[in-house]
Amino acid sequence: MAAPARSSSRLPSELANWAARIERAAREHGLDFFPVQFELLDASDVNGLAAYGGFPVRYPSWRFGMEFERLDKGYHWGLSKIYELVINNDPVIAYLVRSNSTLEQKLVMAHVFGHADFFRHNCWFASTERHMLDRMAAHATTVRRHIDRVGLERVERFLDLALSLENLLDPYLPLRQRLRDGAERPGAPALPEGSTPTFDVLGFLCAHAPLGPWQRELLGIVRDEAYYFQPQRMTKIMNEGWATFWHSRILTGGVLEASEIVEFADCHSGATATAPGRLNPYKLGIELWRHADRRGEDLMRLRRVHDDASLIDELVDEEFVASQKMFAYGRNARSGKAEVEGRDARTIKERLLTQLAWGGLPRIELAGVDAGGELRLEHRHDGRDLQLERAKETLRRVDELWRAGAVLETRVEGARRRLVARGGEVRVEELDEARAPTRAP
Amino acid sequence: MFRIEADRARFREIVRGKIRSDLAKYLSTSELIARQGAHAVSVPVPQIELPQFCFGENERGGVGQGPGERGEELEGEGAGQEGAGAAGDGLGQHLLEVEVELDELAEMLGRELELPRIEPKGKRMLLSDGGRYSDVSNSGPDSLRHFRRSYRQALKRTIAAGLWDPAAPRVEPVREDFRYRARRVTPTPESSAVVIHMMDVSGSMGREQKEIVRIEAFWIDTWLRSQYHNLEVVYIVHDAAAKVVDHDSFFHLRESGGTKISSAYELCLQLIREKHRPEDWNIYPFHYSDGDNWSARDTEKCIALLRDELLPRVNQFCYGQVKSAYGSGQFKKDLDDALGADGRVVTVSVSERSDIQRAIRAFLGKGR
Repeated sequence: MAAPARSSSRLPSELANWAARIERAAREHGLDFFPVQFELLDASDVNGLAAYGGFPVRYPSWRFGMEFERLDKGYHWGLSKIYELVINNDPVIAYLVRSNSTLEQKLVMAHVFGHADFFRHNCWFASTERHMLDRMAAHATTVRRHIDRVGLERVERFLDLALSLENLLDPYLPLRQRLRDGAERPGAPALPEGSTPTFDVLGFLCAHAPLGPWQRELLGIVRDEAYYFQPQRMTKIMNEGWATFWHSRILTGGVLEASEIVEFADCHSGATATAPGRLNPYKLGIELWRHADRRGEDLMRLRRVHDDASLIDELVDEEFVASQKMFAYGRNARSGKAEVEGRDARTIKERLLTQLAWGGLPRIELAGVDAGGELRLEHRHDGRDLQLERAKETLRRVDELWRAGAVLETRVEGARRRLVARGGEVRVEELDEARAPTRAP
Repeated sequence: MFRIEADRARFREIVRGKIRSDLAKYLSTSELIARQGAHAVSVPVPQIELPQFCFGENERGGVGQGPGERGEELEGEGAGQEGAGAAGDGLGQHLLEVEVELDELAEMLGRELELPRIEPKGKRMLLSDGGRYSDVSNSGPDSLRHFRRSYRQALKRTIAAGLWDPAAPRVEPVREDFRYRARRVTPTPESSAVVIHMMDVSGSMGREQKEIVRIEAFWIDTWLRSQYHNLEVVYIVHDAAAKVVDHDSFFHLRESGGTKISSAYELCLQLIREKHRPEDWNIYPFHYSDGDNWSARDTEKCIALLRDELLPRVNQFCYGQVKSAYGSGQFKKDLDDALGADGRVVTVSVSERSDIQRAIRAFLGKGR
């Protein structure tokens, strides 16, 4: 089985003992994970790491600096504080903030073992790179090398272009490829062989856009990292729910001392608090798992085979909607304010599924390359329009990479529209309803 | 410890570039003034966004948890922003605040308005650079090595180390013994300046007029502060009588009644005579009004005061005439007629905020 956690050597003995004890309890509950390595850090350092997505080394980018600035200010003014930071890696790396109380550290540890189990066993994570720490560092080295060679400005500019397109991937591709090939090839899926249609627009551009070698390498890095983070988007609710479910069960199952129960309850309820109009993934997640547990489902199987959308599809029923006081809300056209629309379970479930499908992103498919060399993208419209200005700007960037023009078909307030980007200009054309075949939403 | 500091520095550099290119916008708003600290202002900048394909406004609402009847309003913003796990990675219009040093802001201003650096007046400044090699230092080029001092140092060391033998008086200098001639740095007299802001606070000066003055004064002070080691700012308000006030009152005081501009000029002169003598200070009186004076006779008095007393003592006198609903604007005409040919006088009329930039350029563009 898995090696024991290598946590103990780095932590003060009290925390190391707790880590070992909690790990034992987690394993007794049936959780199974790569070794977990805890690092004890000052709060200010945690913000730096969080800006890097938890990785100690990333390629240089002002975007991380901006995120750091935001987190640091938030922390400084007491608006936000990062409790847990854990990365999907072998070993799993998790950070503990030095200023937290012992109880908080215990809670975070138990929570982390939940995530670690999820990372290892959820199918969407199966093809993620498990040595991402090294991979990120290698990416950083590559980017730095290119900066030395072609200059910061050009690299930065190109990275900004590429990062604008990091959403344009196919979240289901890694798993499909893995099932088809049965291969244990970790990391981003292989580049498509020019086959369209595809949702892996990034991959297509990597393979076929007229790029210089360094640009192709940078685009590949952006794609690689985007595919690494994608499963976390798709499983945010179930993953946080899973970790919360288990920290609660592990801690209240004998790890806590009687004197700690109140502080634990305070801490736990803080993490799972709800606000109107905002779904807390910790809260929704833990309730889903409790609901499944009450129904006598096999939790270990569910955590293996689902993502957020499919788990909700399987578990949410009228009873759940009612017990969780769920409601649908929308913007009142007259007052412009958000208000409760109703508590019909079917509507609510539909809403949730729409929002969560495709990792919460618009589905944008690369339909093909036209005779004139233009890249033709299609937005699979599901009732939600694209933010038009940003779409135009993004398409302009697609064209900047592709250089032979880029077209995006979408709908704006019900009417078919075509965005055309060429040579830095973007225009919006109306599309003839009769001529073009409509696609069901 | 982390490279994140380098990324933050790069981000701030980019933001500064943005502030620089948007400076014209900041020149006509009071946005920065309220955020001024001792050495820096914090500038609110929108987060720089990378555009991505994302859902727009007509996203069909969301799902929430909690009590509430149908039609009941949701409390708190953020409703409708972050639905269930909708990957809203905080792409909203968050404002970030970025600190910019006042010196840096002045530099941006100087570049944007192409302001010349100020040539300090007075002969005092000619002495500022001591050019004589009358000092001794521990380091320097061989060509400036001071043989006698180096030898003496070596001798002292040899004796102290107990190696001195009168029978064989050998002194071997080592690296630490060498002394070099060096240029004596004469401490330069600090170049000091005083800005005397005078404002008409009579009934006809409204809120908007004062706001314009406030913005102008902020940028003028920022620029002058970058040009002098030491800048003092004095505020004078006047209607029919003048008095010295502090910064806050200067911008918020509202008096009614008549306007006697000479009262301010007299007070200004008195200050110069008593506290800010022209031998020691670079003096910048600024006067803002809507151009209505009590009487033609008082205007004559003002002109005489300026010509005979103030102008000989100051670097430059600036008059900013802010257009108000009531002001006739006569005072600027009178000043121009009488003193328009004098290079030490700058008059500008400002009718709206977009003129501020032009006014600042006129005031500071002469490099006096």
